[in-house]
Amino acid sequence: VSVRWWLKRGWMYVAMVAISIFSLFPIYWVVITSLKPRREIYTRTPDLWPSDPQWGQYPRVLGEGHVGRALMNSVIVAGATTVICLTVGAMAAYALARSRLPARKALLMLVLMTQMFPLVVLVIPLFVMMRKSNLLGTYWSLIITYLAFTVPLAIWVMRSFILSIPEELEHAARIDGATRLGAMVRVVLPLAAPGLAVCAVLSFLEGWKEFLLALTFLNDEQRKTVPVVLQSFVGRGDVDWGAVMATSVLYTLPVALVFVLARKHLMTARTGGAVKG
Amino acid sequence: VSTAVAHRVPRRPALTVVRRAVAKFTLPVLLLLPALVIIVGLVGYPLGRTIYLSFTDTGLGDLIYGGGDWVGLDNYKEVFTNDRLRVALINTVVFGSACVIGTMVFGFAVALLLNQRLKGNLLFSIAVLLPWAVPALAASAIWKWLFDARYGFINWALVELGFDRFQDYAWFASRFSAYVAIFVTVVWQSFPFIALSLLAGLQTLPKETLQAAAVDGASAFQRFRLVTLPLLRPIVVVLVVFSTIWDFKIFDQIYVMASGVPDRAADTMAVAAYREGFALGHYGAGSAAAVVLFGVLLVFSIAYVRLIGREGEL
Repeated sequence: VSVRWWLKRGWMYVAMVAISIFSLFPIYWVVITSLKPRREIYTRTPDLWPSDPQWGQYPRVLGEGHVGRALMNSVIVAGATTVICLTVGAMAAYALARSRLPARKALLMLVLMTQMFPLVVLVIPLFVMMRKSNLLGTYWSLIITYLAFTVPLAIWVMRSFILSIPEELEHAARIDGATRLGAMVRVVLPLAAPGLAVCAVLSFLEGWKEFLLALTFLNDEQRKTVPVVLQSFVGRGDVDWGAVMATSVLYTLPVALVFVLARKHLMTARTGGAVKG
Repeated sequence: VSTAVAHRVPRRPALTVVRRAVAKFTLPVLLLLPALVIIVGLVGYPLGRTIYLSFTDTGLGDLIYGGGDWVGLDNYKEVFTNDRLRVALINTVVFGSACVIGTMVFGFAVALLLNQRLKGNLLFSIAVLLPWAVPALAASAIWKWLFDARYGFINWALVELGFDRFQDYAWFASRFSAYVAIFVTVVWQSFPFIALSLLAGLQTLPKETLQAAAVDGASAFQRFRLVTLPLLRPIVVVLVVFSTIWDFKIFDQIYVMASGVPDRAADTMAVAAYREGFALGHYGAGSAAAVVLFGVLLVFSIAYVRLIGREGEL
């Protein structure tokens, strides 16, 4: 291999490998730390490969660490948020995509803007609302408040999917005797299924990752979602890093899987400020 | 249909117009209603309420059933004079901007590299994608472990490389070094999105223009500066505004990673506002701090919405 090749292309391969290591090494390190026995974690000369990988950490955090319970809580909260948000969001998106409502454009801008709001500007009144309605500490406190940012997201993403469905199909259905609602349910909805799937993934991820509101509304150990449990592990004086890493793996794995499988579709939804962080 | 309407319009114009409008808009309005209730009730009302609270001295006892007194602009004076909050505001702007610049520069470099279509490009793109899939809380935990003073991988690696001062170096004991660690975490999490968005933009560039520039003798750097960059400008501007919004309202990573910095000197505005309310019971001052952050972000949000609108998305 010539010097010219190194100057022209070779360094690019070096950069590619370096960037891949930067991306992947932390993930690799989490996984192997979760498999190491205690004495190999707390050592001044860490091994790049666990000499004696053990799964013991996982049943331990799932059981006594309450992580199993927390995963369950996260699934319930994110799942319920997704179902409600899809229903409400798809309806509104249809109205915004198809009708000539006077303030349509202003509404759309409002929807886009609400996604940009920092949650900290809403959290105090939301806390008071939840307290007054006796919902603090329940799943509902999170499910309801998560709609504040998942519904605008769903409207924005669904609308562009509905716009891509030819309106003529609906006209045809209506000429054949379908009502407007019937045309929406029987013609538009099936065609918008991929959009609904993308929305479902996005809103589930939002509910899965949300930390600030969960931290504020949940005190009961039995109801805490995974990010709150993870934070309580890391916030301790002496951190049990093996447990933290096993929890991180369990918390990230489902999301990462969905991400890699749905990556193309998630990118198409990007302009709405849909996914980041 | 149109002729029938034309016949009727002169006879009973007002009633017909109203009736037609009702018929036309009933369904859309009904469909929109639940979403509107959610947006008004869970975003609009709390926002208004926070703005109101920011003008009162609401404390722990007054939060649920009211009772805070109107104090005018006192809380806002506090935001700009109180050390904790003023420092947090400066932190947000300085650290946030550093994250935006770091993410954009690194993301751009990765996008250009992905666009070269080297061997192994598919694996590379999946490697680049993965950090994006890691939730903020998990990413913070992971990097806190990597930067651990005694058993962390990074200190060990730095010492192995001959930088002896990193033996037991406590990254989270001072503001600057904590920010270095959090900066790495934030860039690690957000460069995939930037890189993949820019790559999508790079792939739409007309190849002929770049080839013509190459034929005319432009160097690779000149081609980038004079052809690629101007053509990508709209996407770059949107991404910069978007990143700014995200990095200025950063909460999770700071809450988890900067909690050990003495005097909370590395808190950003979102965390400081949160703590001012929920940890210290100064709900009025906390609201004012949140409103200031909101005001800063509003400027960027309006810019973002206008940029998206100009691109014909609305």
